[in-house]
Amino acid sequence: MPKQSPIPDDFDRPFYDACNEDRLVIQFCAMCSRYQFPPRRACVNCTNVNLAWQQVSGRGRIQSRVVVYDTPTSTLIPDQPFNVATIALEEEPDVTMFSHLPGVPVDEVPIGAQVEVIFEATPATGQKVPEWRVVG
Amino acid sequence: MPIPNTPFSWHRNKENLGIWHGRGKVAATGVGTSPTARRWDEKPETSMGALTLAAIRKAIDDAGIRPSDIDGIVLTPESTTGVTNDPNTPPPEGWDKVFKMVDYPQAGITRGDIDWVLLNMPELSNVQFKMYGTGCMSVAFTTTAEAIARGHTHTCLVVRGWHNLAGRYYVGQGAAALDTASGPFKYGAWGTPACSTAAFPFEEYCRKYGKTHDMMAAFVVEQRRNGLMNPDGFYSQHRPEMITVEDYLAGRWIAKPANIYDNDLPVQAALAVVMTTAERAKDHKPKPAYVLTHAQTRPETQGVTPSLESWERLSDKMGRMLYEGSGLQPEDLDFENMYDGFTLFHQFHLEGLRFASRGEKRGYALDLYQTDISIEGPNPVSPSGGNSGNGRTRWWNHRDSILQIQGRSPSQIKKPANNGVSGAHMPHFCDSLIWSSSPD
Amino acid sequence: MVFLISFDIDGTLEFGDPPGGITVEMVRRAKELGFLIGSCSDRFPSAQRAMWEAHNIEFDFVAAKHMLPDVRERFPADKYLHIGDRELDQQLAEQAGFEFLWDHEGVSEPWLDWLRTDGQ
Repeated sequence: MPKQSPIPDDFDRPFYDACNEDRLVIQFCAMCSRYQFPPRRACVNCTNVNLAWQQVSGRGRIQSRVVVYDTPTSTLIPDQPFNVATIALEEEPDVTMFSHLPGVPVDEVPIGAQVEVIFEATPATGQKVPEWRVVG
Repeated sequence: MPIPNTPFSWHRNKENLGIWHGRGKVAATGVGTSPTARRWDEKPETSMGALTLAAIRKAIDDAGIRPSDIDGIVLTPESTTGVTNDPNTPPPEGWDKVFKMVDYPQAGITRGDIDWVLLNMPELSNVQFKMYGTGCMSVAFTTTAEAIARGHTHTCLVVRGWHNLAGRYYVGQGAAALDTASGPFKYGAWGTPACSTAAFPFEEYCRKYGKTHDMMAAFVVEQRRNGLMNPDGFYSQHRPEMITVEDYLAGRWIAKPANIYDNDLPVQAALAVVMTTAERAKDHKPKPAYVLTHAQTRPETQGVTPSLESWERLSDKMGRMLYEGSGLQPEDLDFENMYDGFTLFHQFHLEGLRFASRGEKRGYALDLYQTDISIEGPNPVSPSGGNSGNGRTRWWNHRDSILQIQGRSPSQIKKPANNGVSGAHMPHFCDSLIWSSSPD
Repeated sequence: MVFLISFDIDGTLEFGDPPGGITVEMVRRAKELGFLIGSCSDRFPSAQRAMWEAHNIEFDFVAAKHMLPDVRERFPADKYLHIGDRELDQQLAEQAGFEFLWDHEGVSEPWLDWLRTDGQ
């Protein structure tokens, strides 16, 4: 699906650069041993600003889903209706990411299923973003 | 000196703080509501700022006091959650003939501004305390309660205006119309509409407790019924149309399981409330609605969107903090007016408070909706009608809680309204207050 | 030949909120010339009925916006048209086998030409 191309900035460039190398790298707070995504200036738990970028396994489970029938995003309107799932990362299920679950029919999202990350190039700039596919 | 925001130290966001130090010492009295409109027609006299001034005048008049009795103002500056103007957009032609200007050109148009209010209401001649309660009028209410309890102000206005510009609210506008995404928009490039924030946890909720979206119909119908009783609400003023269960069930999906009638309608409107000390409230015209406590939750979300677990955990915490701070128990609440815009928020708040629980902790609210939740019944759920019944403001619920306690709500519950609760907005990001007819 | 026109309301009809460019007069003319007319909008069906009645216009159908396929099924016609102001209107119309016109394109009443050309 033709997602908007994210424009990295100095702050989140490590995440997007890693995506372009097909690696999933997110922030980690060593003070409280927690991951978080999207990137933020400080740990949402302890406000530590010295966060590290760490590569994670790229495995997770489908936590929830919606079916979008009326998106505000112009580039995605032709593909309506479409799935959007939340993916809970294996390392820390409280850390979630969105997915369109390419290949999964609309409204047939297998909640709880295992997924693995893939990287999808976005049309406008070619910037890659994480996507997820059901395993097995 | 810039006007400060609420200090973090004023938050009651922890347990084991005991009874609130201001319990029963602060009260709301006068209430002023502006007329409503669907969108701004670009005339100065119908602007968000004009509505704000009108609401303030009505609140002061309703309280039966003089403008010079006001010594504080707490205002929520953000006046939309949708489309807004660039901060440097000049005001429309003729604006400066109607209003005095401050340096910020969008003051009174797409942003509330205390200096702009004071410049255009010189009769507020004794305002010493000024503070912004940012993001939500709930923050302005809890900030004012704390400011009065701490002695920073004695008679204070709580103010919020909402603007809604011409055009569609989110769809295909601004960042959403581009083929690239910057800033916070880039992590939401999956095209989720705003109501998805509620729909994801609601989907989890239904799976966990074996409930369905259809069970929301009873609540949404009751919200509209209550809202249509309110002569100040948008629907009663402009679209006095009653929704039916069939209408709701036939509603178009926006992000399944959220349909179009789970979304609230953006409007223009403003509210002002006079809050004061319990001592001074005795001299105001309306009966005081005392504040027994307030509390806050703030997001701890580690991911892209909140989960059911985080909403249950934080709304449970909100319930515990409110009961601890007020000394009340769930069975002491005569009504609840928690936030509903999106409607799918509501049951998370309700269950966190254990409102009308018969021992259930979670998963009972949608069953409760199938019982008598009307204002005539034993468990009045959201008697204000909320955003769903009145249009998007995030303050109908607070306003109605005050009016219920004062015994003058247009949707007055039939049993005595001695204690009630209101709070907004999300189950993990909420400021709430317990209101009472008695300070004791 | 039978022609059916579905009007979105808000942003499309002059009594919508916001008002659109399609006037009551245009709708009335289409009805008088034998078109099947009605609305498919996000307003409740009961509210749509009330709006047509308030403007003294006989209508053939009202429905929720996403129910265009149902309208097509209920009313056999040679040509179906939906007029709206959002990309979503266009998408729902095309998915339901309706032609689509933007509200501003409808202002010139191009459907009147169908009477001369048998819908060609």
